[in-house]
Amino acid sequence: MPDIAPRRRILLASAATLPLLLATAGCRSSDAFTGPDPLAGRPRPAPDVITLAAVIGAEEDLIGLYRTALAHDAAPTAPARDLLALLAQHEQHLARLRARLIQPPGTATATASPRPAAKASTAAPNPVTIARLQAAERASAASLVRRLATVEPALAQLFASIAASDATHVTALGG
Amino acid sequence: MAEITAVSALRAALAAEDAAIYGYGVAGAHLGGSRQAAAQQDWEGHNKARDTLTAMIYALGAQPVAAEAFYSLPFPVHDKTSAMALAAYLEDGVTRAYLGIVAVSDQRLRDFGALAMQSSAERAAYWRGSTEAFPGLDP
Repeated sequence: MPDIAPRRRILLASAATLPLLLATAGCRSSDAFTGPDPLAGRPRPAPDVITLAAVIGAEEDLIGLYRTALAHDAAPTAPARDLLALLAQHEQHLARLRARLIQPPGTATATASPRPAAKASTAAPNPVTIARLQAAERASAASLVRRLATVEPALAQLFASIAASDATHVTALGG
Repeated sequence: MAEITAVSALRAALAAEDAAIYGYGVAGAHLGGSRQAAAQQDWEGHNKARDTLTAMIYALGAQPVAAEAFYSLPFPVHDKTSAMALAAYLEDGVTRAYLGIVAVSDQRLRDFGALAMQSSAERAAYWRGSTEAFPGLDP
């Protein structure tokens, strides 16, 4: 078996020289095997990911509020087309926020699609008035600014831009 | 990307405020009534913001950059419509500059920049007549 012997020798030689190679590379042999422990379960998401997931959830709630207002004509003092325009901008916010979130499949920290308007209705049985939309926009802007401290610069800029958009919505709603 | 320093971000905001002060002077001359009053109010607000930014730059041990004597306008301004468009353009520039402050590491400066850009975005929406999804950012 002329083929096997050389292979075996190569393997043996490799095993013998591995500590030497690691030593010349300034490594301990145990370093070669460090990394995620496959038995340790899913790693915890980074703080930015947790924050981003929370902001996405809040944006979904805001969208749900607008959809409820439009579905029930609960905010008759504002023309529907105005509410639709603001809703469209919130959907743009959501799309850009989601584009920043890269998670392994099956991770449950962020939902994959907007929560249905019915959820907002269940959570909030009172009619969605213009005043309520204004309060929600104001709260969203304030919440985003509070989160600036904990995220990296580019994400902070996205949050600040969305907060500024929300602030303009308050005024557009007559506030 | 190189880290944005507090001084460079504040200087950029100061430059945008100086440009706005100049530009509102041009725009205001073509406006009347409540819009002229709004332009006057915004011009005064930009003057206050310039003073605030100047003091902040000094507080960081740096020198503010003086305003230019003359600024090129992005388009001819000869009537109410173009004057309002200029005001919106100026506010967009101010919003972008304050967004730069949000990228610095100092938390108080981030908050300052974020709140300032809310004000400029609201003024831009007033002059434009519509809101935007991402003030200060590329659409």
